[in-house]
Amino acid sequence: MTAPPATAPAVAPALRLSGVSRTFGATVALDAVDLEVSPGEVHCVLGENGAGKSTLCNIVFGSLRPSSGSVERDGEPFTPSNPADAIASGVTMVHQHFSLLPNLTVRENLLLGRGGVRLDRAGLARRLAELEEAYGLAVDPDATTGALSVGARQQVEIVKALLPRPDLILFDEPTGVLGPAEIAGFLSTVRRIADAGTAVVLITHKLAEVTQVGDRATVLRGGRVVGGGPLSELTSDDLVTLMIGREVGGLDSVLAASLGLTSPEPVGSPAATTGAAAEAPEPAGSPVPAAGPAVLEVRDLVVDATDGARTVDHLDLAVPGGSIVGIAGVEGNGQSELVSVLSGALTASAGTVTLDGTDVTAAGPGPRAALGLGVIPEDRHHDAIVGELTVAQNLLLGRLDELRRFGMLDRRAMRRRAEDLVARYDVRTAGTDAPISSLSGGNQQKAVLARELSLDPLRCVVAAHPTRGLDLGAVDGVVRRLREAAASGVAVLVVSSELSELLALCDVVHVAYRGRLLGPVPTDDPTARDQVARLMTGAVA
Amino acid sequence: MTSMLTDLLVASVSLTIPVLVAANGELVSERAGVLNMSVEGMMLTGAFAGVVGATSTGSPVAGVLCGLAAGIVLGAVQALLSVTLRANQIVTGIALTTLAIAATTFGARLLLADRGVSVPGFDRLAVPVLSDIPVVGPALFAQTGLAYALVGVVVVLALLTSRRTGWGLAIDAAGEDATKADWAGVPVRRVRWLAVVGVGALSGLAGTQLALSEVHTFTDNMTAGIGYLAVVAVIAGRWKAVPVMVASLVFGVAQALQFTLPALGVDVPFALLVMLPYVLALLAVGGLVTHSRPPSALTVPFVRAGA
Repeated sequence: MTAPPATAPAVAPALRLSGVSRTFGATVALDAVDLEVSPGEVHCVLGENGAGKSTLCNIVFGSLRPSSGSVERDGEPFTPSNPADAIASGVTMVHQHFSLLPNLTVRENLLLGRGGVRLDRAGLARRLAELEEAYGLAVDPDATTGALSVGARQQVEIVKALLPRPDLILFDEPTGVLGPAEIAGFLSTVRRIADAGTAVVLITHKLAEVTQVGDRATVLRGGRVVGGGPLSELTSDDLVTLMIGREVGGLDSVLAASLGLTSPEPVGSPAATTGAAAEAPEPAGSPVPAAGPAVLEVRDLVVDATDGARTVDHLDLAVPGGSIVGIAGVEGNGQSELVSVLSGALTASAGTVTLDGTDVTAAGPGPRAALGLGVIPEDRHHDAIVGELTVAQNLLLGRLDELRRFGMLDRRAMRRRAEDLVARYDVRTAGTDAPISSLSGGNQQKAVLARELSLDPLRCVVAAHPTRGLDLGAVDGVVRRLREAAASGVAVLVVSSELSELLALCDVVHVAYRGRLLGPVPTDDPTARDQVARLMTGAVA
Repeated sequence: MTSMLTDLLVASVSLTIPVLVAANGELVSERAGVLNMSVEGMMLTGAFAGVVGATSTGSPVAGVLCGLAAGIVLGAVQALLSVTLRANQIVTGIALTTLAIAATTFGARLLLADRGVSVPGFDRLAVPVLSDIPVVGPALFAQTGLAYALVGVVVVLALLTSRRTGWGLAIDAAGEDATKADWAGVPVRRVRWLAVVGVGALSGLAGTQLALSEVHTFTDNMTAGIGYLAVVAVIAGRWKAVPVMVASLVFGVAQALQFTLPALGVDVPFALLVMLPYVLALLAVGGLVTHSRPPSALTVPFVRAGA
C-alpha cells in the first residue's frame, strides 16, 4: 500500500458504505446509506427498531448482500459472501442474541469455525491470556456455555469477537440483556477496544450509552441516514429529535426512559412529565399497594425445568387490582417461567396461583381467560399469534364459540368485531382479512393487546416485555393501554428487562433473582433506581 | 455348545459390519443436522453396483469401487434435495429408497440375468494364531479383507469427527444451530453436503460388503431393512460414536439369532426371529431403551435469514 488511490484520505476509513440500499420484496430496509468509520473510533449507529440498523450490520458481516451501493474497507472494495469471509478479512460481530452454542464448552465455542482437524488449544490459551491482560476479559474455557450467566456469556462473546485480531468489530444492541452494573463494565471494555486502534460500530437505541462511549454517531430512520456527526457537537435532544422525527419535549416518561434519556436520575414520580400523571392510578398515600385485595396471587411457586434445574424457587407475588406491578431483573432469573406458569402454558412443580380467589393452578389457558386473565407473552411470534391466519381470526380465536350461527362461524359478525377492535386499538392493517404476519411488529403487538385487553370480564393482565422490538409510537400505544387497564381496576403485571421503563410505568417493582422475587421497591421513592439496581446483583434490601 | 456359540458370534460379526459402517456415516450426517432415510436405498444400490462391477470386470476391488461410486451418487442426490433444495428429509429419503429398490430390481433383470455366472467376491482371511483363539477367534480374525478395511475406515472416521477435532466441532455446531454456526464462520452447507455424501459413500461400501463378502451375489431387495436398522442404531446410540457401534452389534446379534437358534434346535418360529431386530428398533426409537435428545437442528434446513 505505497500509493493510495487519489480519492482516499490520509488514513483510509476502516469501513465505508456508499449509497448502500437493501430491499426485501417491496420493503426498503436500507435506502442509500453512507457511513464512514475510522480506526480507533466508536461509531454509534442509532435508530428505533425497524430503522435498518440490523440490516446494516448483516451486510457488513456478510449475512446479507446489498441490493445496490458499495462497501469498502481500507479503501478496497469489500464484498463478503458469508460471515466466514468477513471474519477472514478482519470483521467480527457481537450478536444481539448470542451466537454461542449453549451445549458446547466455552473453549469449543471459541475454537469453532477454524476448520481443520487439529484444534490449537495451546494457541487459544495464549491468546486468552493476552486478552485478559489487555482488556481484563477473563473467561473459564472449561465451563459449559449454557450454564453461564448472561453477563458471563457476553464476556465470552466479546472474547470470541476479539480472538482473530479484527480491525472492525460490530456490536448489535449488545446491552439489551445486561443489568446496570454489567452495562458499565461493557462500555468501558468497548472504549478500550477502540483505544487499541480497532474500529468499533455500536448499534443501539439507548442514548445514555452513546453519550458515554461514542465518538461519532449516525442516526437512521426508516432505512435512511437522517443525521449524525461527532458527538461533541450533538446533544442528546438533537439525537432523539433525529431518531423519532419530532421534538423531545412532549415525550411520555416511559418513552423517554426507553430511549435511555432519563437514566441517571430516578423516574416514575407522577410529576415526571405531562400525560403520565393524569392517567396513572395512584394508590393515594400507600407506597406498597399490596395493601389492597390481590386479584392475582402466587404462593410458594416452584418450577423445576426438565433438566432438573430449579428456575422458580418458592416465589410469592400479589398483584392488587388497579395497580401496575413490575418485575425487573436480568433475563434468565425465572421471569419467563413465571409468565409461562401464569399463562397456563407450563405446569408448576409446587405452589398455587389464584385469580380473584379462584385456584387456577391446574387450569389451562382457556379457563384462565374465561376468568379474566389476559396474557401478552414474551415471544410474540411463537406464543401470541398464528402468522398464517388473518388479523380477524387471530383477534377472535379465543372466542369463536360466541360467533357461531347454526353451528357455523358467522363471518359477518367476526368481521364486525374485528374491525371494531382494529379501530379501537389503532392496529394499522390493510384489512382484517390480511394475514397477521403481514403487519409490522408494533401492529402485531397492538393486535395481541386488543385481543387480551378486550376480554370480558378482564381482571388481570400479565405482560412480558410488552414493548420489546417496538418503535416509539407503538410503545406509546402499549403503555397507554396498560395504564388505562389499571385505571379501570385491572391488576397489571409487567415483566421487562428495561429497568427505566418499569420505573416509569409501575407502582412497585420487584426484582427477579435466581427464581425468587426481591423487593418490592415503590417507584415514587427517589432512590428506587439504586435500590433496584442493587437488588439485581442479589443484595437483599 | 461351544461351536454353537462360535457360529453365533461369526454370524453376528458378519451381520454387524454392514450396519456398523452405514450407521457411522449416518451418525456424522445426523450430528450435522441431516437425517437420511435413504441409507437403505444407498446400501442396496451399493450392493447392486458392487456385484455388477465385480462380474463385468472380474475384479472384486473394481466391484467395491463401483459400489462406492454408486453410493456417492445417491448421497449427492440426497444432499441436493436435503441441503440445497431444502426438501423434506424424511419424504425424500423414503422416496429415494423406494426408487432404489425398483431400479436395482429392474437393473438385475437387465444386467445380472445370467445367474449361472459366479460373482467374484472376497474370501475370508484367517489371521494366523489369532483366528485359532477359541470362541471369539473365528468371529474377529477370520473376516474378509474388505471387512477389515471397512472397520478401519469406521475407526478413522470416528476419530476425525470426534468433538476434539475442528471438523467434529463444525459438524456438531451445524446440527445444533446452523445460524449460529454460520455466524461463527462454519461453512454450514459445505459441512452438510460432505456429511450426506459421506453417508452415501459408507452405505455404498456397506452394501458391497454385504454382497461381495457375505452373500456373494445380488438378490432383489437383499438389504431388507438393514439400512433402516443403521438409522435406528444412531438413535439407540444416542448420537455418540461408541454407543452407536454397540447398538450396531446388538442389531447384528439379533439378526444372527435367526440362523443360529433354529440350528440349536430351539423351537421358535423363524418369522418371529426375523422380526426381532425390528422389535428392538421400535423399542429403541420409542425411547424405551435409551432416552436422549437429538441434535436440535436435525431435519431443519439452513438458509441465511433474509437472504
